[in-house]
Amino acid sequence: MVGPPYDCLANPLGAVRLTFEKAIASGSHPSSFDGKDWGAIDLFRHFLFDQSQLSQVPILSPATLRWVQPNTLVRFRGMIQDMLGNEFYVGAYKDGSVWRTNKFMDFSKFPMDSSPDMRVWERRLLYCVPVPGISSWAESASEVAIDRRMNWTSQQRDKRGRMDFEAMDAEDTPVPADNFEDSPTAKRMREDGHPSPSSQSQDYKTEAACSSTNVELEIYHDSSPCLVKIYDSPESELKLNDVFEFVGVLTFDSEIPVETGDRDDFCNDYSDDLLVHLPPHKVPRLHCLIHRKLAAHDFLHKSPSVEQTPHLVKEARESLLRHLTDVLGNDGVAAHYMLLHLLSRVHSRVDHVAVGKLSLNLTCLSKESFSVFGIQLSLAIKNLLPFSTCIPLTLEYLSRSSLAPKKDYQTNRLIPGVLQLAEGSHLIIDETLLETGTLNSVGVDNARLLKNLLEFQKVEYDFTYYKMEMPADVQLLILSEGKSNILPADVILPFQPSSVGTSGVVTTEAVEAWRWYLAAFRLLPHSIESEMQKVVENDLVAARQADRSIGSQDFSRWLTMGRLISTSFGETSLSMEHWQMVMELERQRRERLLPYRN
Amino acid sequence: MKDFDFNADKVLAKDFLSNFADANGEAKYINILQDVANHKSRAVQIDLEDLLNYKDLDEEFFRRVTENTRRYIGIFASAIDDVMPEPTEPFPDDDHDILMTQRTEDATENTDDSDPQQKMPAEIKRYYEVYIRAPSKGRPFTIREVKASYIGQLVRISGIVTRCSDVKPLMQVAVYTCEDCGFEIYQEVTARVFMPLFECPSKRCKTNKANGNLILQLRASKFLKFQEAKIQELAEHVPKGHIPRSMTVHFRGELTRKVAPGDVVELSGIFLPIPYTGFRALRAGLVADTYLEAMSVTHFKKKYEEYELRGDEEEQIARLAEDGDIYNKLARSLAPEIYGHEDIKKALLLLLVGAPHRKLKDGMKIRGDLHLCLMGDPGVAKSQLLKHIINVAPRAVYTTGRGSSGVGLTAAVQKDPVTNEMVLEGGALVLADMGICAIDEFDKMDESDRTAIHEVMEQQTVSIAKAGITTSLNARTAVLAAANPAWGRYDLRRTPAENINLPPALLSRFDLLWLILDRADMDSDLEMARHVVYVHQNKESPALGFTPLEPSILRAYISAARRLSPYVPKELEEYIATAYSSIRQEEAKSNAPHSYTTVRTLLSILRISAALARLRFSETVAQSDVDEALRLMQMSKFSLYSDDRQRSGLDAISDIYSILRDEAARTNTLDVSYAHALNWISRKGYSEAQLKECLEEYAALNVWQIHPHTFDIRFIDA
Repeated sequence: MVGPPYDCLANPLGAVRLTFEKAIASGSHPSSFDGKDWGAIDLFRHFLFDQSQLSQVPILSPATLRWVQPNTLVRFRGMIQDMLGNEFYVGAYKDGSVWRTNKFMDFSKFPMDSSPDMRVWERRLLYCVPVPGISSWAESASEVAIDRRMNWTSQQRDKRGRMDFEAMDAEDTPVPADNFEDSPTAKRMREDGHPSPSSQSQDYKTEAACSSTNVELEIYHDSSPCLVKIYDSPESELKLNDVFEFVGVLTFDSEIPVETGDRDDFCNDYSDDLLVHLPPHKVPRLHCLIHRKLAAHDFLHKSPSVEQTPHLVKEARESLLRHLTDVLGNDGVAAHYMLLHLLSRVHSRVDHVAVGKLSLNLTCLSKESFSVFGIQLSLAIKNLLPFSTCIPLTLEYLSRSSLAPKKDYQTNRLIPGVLQLAEGSHLIIDETLLETGTLNSVGVDNARLLKNLLEFQKVEYDFTYYKMEMPADVQLLILSEGKSNILPADVILPFQPSSVGTSGVVTTEAVEAWRWYLAAFRLLPHSIESEMQKVVENDLVAARQADRSIGSQDFSRWLTMGRLISTSFGETSLSMEHWQMVMELERQRRERLLPYRN
Repeated sequence: MKDFDFNADKVLAKDFLSNFADANGEAKYINILQDVANHKSRAVQIDLEDLLNYKDLDEEFFRRVTENTRRYIGIFASAIDDVMPEPTEPFPDDDHDILMTQRTEDATENTDDSDPQQKMPAEIKRYYEVYIRAPSKGRPFTIREVKASYIGQLVRISGIVTRCSDVKPLMQVAVYTCEDCGFEIYQEVTARVFMPLFECPSKRCKTNKANGNLILQLRASKFLKFQEAKIQELAEHVPKGHIPRSMTVHFRGELTRKVAPGDVVELSGIFLPIPYTGFRALRAGLVADTYLEAMSVTHFKKKYEEYELRGDEEEQIARLAEDGDIYNKLARSLAPEIYGHEDIKKALLLLLVGAPHRKLKDGMKIRGDLHLCLMGDPGVAKSQLLKHIINVAPRAVYTTGRGSSGVGLTAAVQKDPVTNEMVLEGGALVLADMGICAIDEFDKMDESDRTAIHEVMEQQTVSIAKAGITTSLNARTAVLAAANPAWGRYDLRRTPAENINLPPALLSRFDLLWLILDRADMDSDLEMARHVVYVHQNKESPALGFTPLEPSILRAYISAARRLSPYVPKELEEYIATAYSSIRQEEAKSNAPHSYTTVRTLLSILRISAALARLRFSETVAQSDVDEALRLMQMSKFSLYSDDRQRSGLDAISDIYSILRDEAARTNTLDVSYAHALNWISRKGYSEAQLKECLEEYAALNVWQIHPHTFDIRFIDA
């Protein structure tokens, strides 16, 4: 079979144009394409998924930006940080007697004059950033593709000659082909647009130095944003803070200078223009053809194996539990709770309750023991989960940092806050550093935000004139000396290590198995059989009759734990055995708590 | 062809303007135009609703106006030029008119009007502005819903103003004079930027090849006031997981300075694209910025008094009012996700409705607002109830006893940092004037606020005598307070007074005080366990068993109810007086009174009864209202003192018997209907089950006979 007469990777716009012309030729009028696809998306979907060429598409990152050419197919993995509204463009217009389209392009190739035959379409602008707190292993999952791509481009360039679309090709690459490898613009962009990762982490190290930890703050990992232009997809599909992979046409034009001259002061003070605030030479544009939501397992090196034999699951669970026990200084109970905590996620919201969250508060950690266990723990978590962050909760941090995202009306942008996290992120809050002192109003506000996140899994975004609650799904781990009153967690567990934590020797293979285990099992469905339901209900009532201080929150916690324990065994319904495990764990925890009760 | 169309439409417009008659039969637009001609106003607002109601409505014409509004503003303007009446009142000439007369004289002298740029454009002669206002029927768009297909059309949107520019002059007609020939040259400006003319285009200069220099005459040119603003979607219009969108709005002429940042407005305007100019047009040529050319501005009103019923709401309210069970239905629809607490919800509903304010002849005011205090163990959904009420009420402030700002609850005198002047700043209670002020953590209130709140709750004013300022601010607000018992949890071993921890002077100001306790009760525990399991199992709340009314309907119903001011009929006065005196007597009898029944209690009874009458849409208070008011007051006391009663030794059954016997003796009859009996005993805090038990037990003793079906009681005379 002869390949298609266009190259979807190097000249996606050619393919778009071809399908457009085909559709016109088959008798459709461009007005019927308003907000609709004419077959271009299907073509790419076929190319990427049915022919599984997705891995051939380079992933946009500061490194790849150096050599990726404009107007080629790229993909970008990131979190939707801001939504900049929609943009109107002339979608189809008549050039003489020929209909042409501007879809998936930033500017027209042909001169246009306003004519009645102009169709104005709209596209949505999403400002995307790399997922906050992404672990290095998840990031490097993309690096694999790059080497392959390097070889591939060199081959591809030879092949270009035989393309049927030479004429089109010339138009599609306005930047001469020879200036991309080491062009001055690319260099400049690297220098001022993307500080190299090493210097960046250094900056944050100094910032974190005051907190006596060297847990890296990767929160502001905002170095390579991307402006994604979405066509035709329903609004409800893409939500704020979702992690997506966008495949589309890269336009990244370093030639448009930021205009200053012909903008008179009439509009100067009043512009929130994209070109000014997001100069295209710093922020590449991606005209999205296909997007798909990413889950944690999409960040794994190897695709999740289909082998889900109970034996393997059990093995993975036990080895992971052993690993956690080691990290936590032989505290088995803490390791159990940690495992459940790592598997938790908000699976539904009923009224104001986020069902399924299980935040954990490890108490009895002092500043000294934090340096032993806390760092071990945060490293271990970073190694297991794709997105994780750590907040050193000092007075200064609370009073100064901006935890909630805030809308800046001057630039019409949402200024990211530390708590703007992707779904399924893990957040460690280190309260051991907190000392007595007074908080300013920002600090009080921040403390309230953290409390709301813990209780309702919601973050209030500040829009000056009103606040908007955005649902979040963050696993929260609090490390504190005594029970944290500022941050009421679901589970409070005094930490009782019996030895210094060692992570031991961990093979890459094992780590990858654990990552897969955590990523895949979090999503398991769960149900309670009606017989079991009776048992559970009776147990709950009996518990409350025995102890009046037990409330609906405790009930909810037990049911969540029941779900998580069965999930950890790879089962989808609650069994008597697992329910008793919950009760046993809770009994052990209560025993530990007794000395602290007064 | 098209020109013909527009000419025909101009005729239609003229016809509409001169012949439209409003509901009173007056020629609305001719009157407006007369005012304009007399220089009394500058804006001619054409309401499309009028056009819709116009007797000779041409549907096609209406459609054309909404879809190509900008063009039709010009058509209406030129139609107005034609039908403009002569001024009927003399007015002083301003320089504009002097210029105009001169120009008209010039124009007659010079017949050189073949050149369009020398012809005076119509705009310069007009001293009015035309706005076309979208019909106010239906729901306005959110910014998100305005799509590309609406470009050029008249749309109505709602949003909040986030930024406003200064008002600046915008050139509408540039006027030049030629150095050589002395002609005035006009240039119409339609965009924000324009290319000035440099060479005189007049015939004389052209034939003389003089290339006359043109000088821009700022005084003769016509400018419009111009303001740019940004509006943003309201929080409730943003879909979950999205960022509010914003839109640029241009205000011209009389519409400038109408909005300020933070205002919630409804705008009608034309959705238009701005073509990029200059270099950007070349590069980014295919993207267009859009803006809304404002045509009218309406500020949202959020008071009950100003609440306008929309379309079908009136009908729905009428249907609800006919439904006999409206009281229960409305109460249940408050915070439907909170299980139980029916009586508390009823009390909250009455708080929302309130009673009419009374002003006596001697100037004394009697408040109509109901005050309610919820007290209870932590975690019994007090705060949730408060928050829900805030959402239902159109004007309400939620605060905590500690307050968030330095102003606190009442008011504070503060120094303005810029001018060093002393300014008064209202606190939460003042801000909630004519609304509801929900105060959480009432027990943790500052001492200074606590003293001030006494005044607020009875006199409904806040007095200030600080830093040379003595004044009093209105705080006509219904206080809804939530408090924790003194030791965090309610301690059953201590007396209620010890637990409540609020001074009696403050407590007596609350019409109703409710204690919500977390009791050890197997049934409620099972209910709770079931609920939690259900939620985990099905990812949704269990079905409520009824469909709660929408908050908007609730609001509409309450606002309709609040318009009434029911009075107490003569024949009920005696009834209320007896009820009051019996409460007083009962209190006098008991050696440890729990509450202080004062005149305030009597006023409370009247207030609650009036609120109940309002709910029935009745102008008079009925006996059933008074009964229900007494029951609610008793229930609220019962919630406080029930345990006490059980300790008093008298068992429930014999107590119920004595209540019934006393009541029967008081009314001097032997027959007591079941409904009455139930009312009496529930006022004393007993349940229906206990009543039934009592009825059976004493029937067996042949004390009374019970009707087998209606359960009515007949005492056997002994």
